[in-house]
Amino acid sequence: MSEQPRRTRRRRAESDTQQHENPLVNELERLKENFSGTADKIIKDIKRQERIMARSDKRQRKEYDELQQRLIEVQGLQEAQKKLLDSFIELIAGAIDAKSKYTGGHCNRVPILANMLGKAASESGEGIFEDFQLSERDAHELNIAAWLHDCGKVVTPEYVVDKATKLETIYNRIHEIRNRFEIIHRDLTIESLQRIIAGEEKASVEQWLAEEHAKLQEEFAFIAKANVGGEFMRDEDQQRVRDIGKREWTRYFDDRLGLSSEELRLIGDEAAETPARETLLADKPRHIIPREHFDYDEYERMGFKMPVPDALYNRGEIFNLTIAKGTLTYEERFKINEHMVMTIKMLEQLPFPDHLKNVPLYAGAHHETMIGTGYPRQLTKDDMPIPSRIMAIADVFEALTAADRPYKDAKTLSMSIKIMSFMVKDQHLDRDIFELFLKSGVYKQYAEAYLKPEQIDEVDIDQYLS
Amino acid sequence: METLTLEATQYTPEIHMDPAGTVSIVGKSYPENTFEFYKPVMEWLNNFFEQDDIPELTVNVELIYFNSSSSKLFFDLFDILDENNDTTEITINWIYDEENESAEEAGEDFIEDFEDLTINLVTKEEE
Repeated sequence: MSEQPRRTRRRRAESDTQQHENPLVNELERLKENFSGTADKIIKDIKRQERIMARSDKRQRKEYDELQQRLIEVQGLQEAQKKLLDSFIELIAGAIDAKSKYTGGHCNRVPILANMLGKAASESGEGIFEDFQLSERDAHELNIAAWLHDCGKVVTPEYVVDKATKLETIYNRIHEIRNRFEIIHRDLTIESLQRIIAGEEKASVEQWLAEEHAKLQEEFAFIAKANVGGEFMRDEDQQRVRDIGKREWTRYFDDRLGLSSEELRLIGDEAAETPARETLLADKPRHIIPREHFDYDEYERMGFKMPVPDALYNRGEIFNLTIAKGTLTYEERFKINEHMVMTIKMLEQLPFPDHLKNVPLYAGAHHETMIGTGYPRQLTKDDMPIPSRIMAIADVFEALTAADRPYKDAKTLSMSIKIMSFMVKDQHLDRDIFELFLKSGVYKQYAEAYLKPEQIDEVDIDQYLS
Repeated sequence: METLTLEATQYTPEIHMDPAGTVSIVGKSYPENTFEFYKPVMEWLNNFFEQDDIPELTVNVELIYFNSSSSKLFFDLFDILDENNDTTEITINWIYDEENESAEEAGEDFIEDFEDLTINLVTKEEE
């Protein structure tokens, strides 16, 4: 077909040179040739047009299909986004509720009430509600607001939220124990005066009193020192705390007055009579805060492996003063580590779309080790994808170098990396990622941006690379 | 003979026509009035072939999107090239993304329709 025009051209060229005698024949010939050429051109053009149209139809169909496909995708994403948002909101509310057993469920229940009220107001049609109408969107808006109405409380300290009596606060009980020393000090003075009145020799009683007072001062100094946590408390020092604690004093006042109902519940049926003989230091039943509302089945089902202590807290004085390492009891250590359990629970209930489905895994494994000694699931390296292991390095490095923790000083860059290298050696952190952290210079980049100048020192990274 | 340059717009491609023998058409082509828009292009091309001393011509077309009247126009444009194919060395590079099915099919149509023209289908890998 495409040959046609060229042949026509060639033929026309021939006919131009071979003229017929009759001009009319020539003219007819020319007309015929022109007609055929023109007809060919028109046919060709029609065929082209048809082809263009067919292509265009095909493309239109494809484009429209794609458009509809996209629309469905967008609708799906919108739905997923809405679900994610709702869940995030509920997660925040859940976090606030989880902070306090007293207000637990509060953020959960307020939306129920608010939605009920909104509906009622919408249906009322009377008085101030005459023109009040909640559309579906308005109701959704109210619902979100209700879920978030207390969200700022996530930063409110628990002891303030739950303050049950006027004098309640976070309290260093060393003051209470020191007062008992004060009492015993005066008791000794009184005892000496009574003995003198009873006729004992004044000088020898005073001699005795001076010795007892000196001993008491020394004992208090020892207890006060024990109150400050350290690397390790020797067995004999722990025993000495117990021995000093055996001293007795007399309590004349009822120790149940001025307590909250929760505190009274903990005292239970301990004897109430006064005067009562008390020991200087004590582990009492009331010091044990029971663990309540703990879902052991869920804990196990979700794969958490940290042993759960029976008590929520143990505030026993001797129990705490004889903590061998640091300042935290196992119960408190568990409570702190439980934040990982909370994080995982919160994140796993979010309907992350497919491309975000690993968020809980990445966020929830940064306290695990390579060898199953971490928490909360005792995972091993094989269970942990690279992003999880990256999180662990990031978490440790930030914690070591942070300058804003009240309980410890910020470490230098070289010291932080040295400590991390020990953790790598113990297989608590992943070696590959640690080496990447060093070789890539990320440690340095971060340090320059976020560490104080005095923390940044020279690090010989070669010694840590295998 | 002057160089013709048209900047790209939302609906029209960037066009560069150099009398030294290169023509490039790059971008999208769905103008409101296709034949009006391409009029200077066709004129330039006709003038190009009316010169006494016609250099070799390379035409690069790289369109990511074009409407059906643009397709029609390219048939017309290639007709001009076809008419001058005997006297001028002409190379057409029809460039398209490997994912771009309609551009590929259009290129195949041109090859089928213009057997004597040198039309190269050049695929680009997606970035």
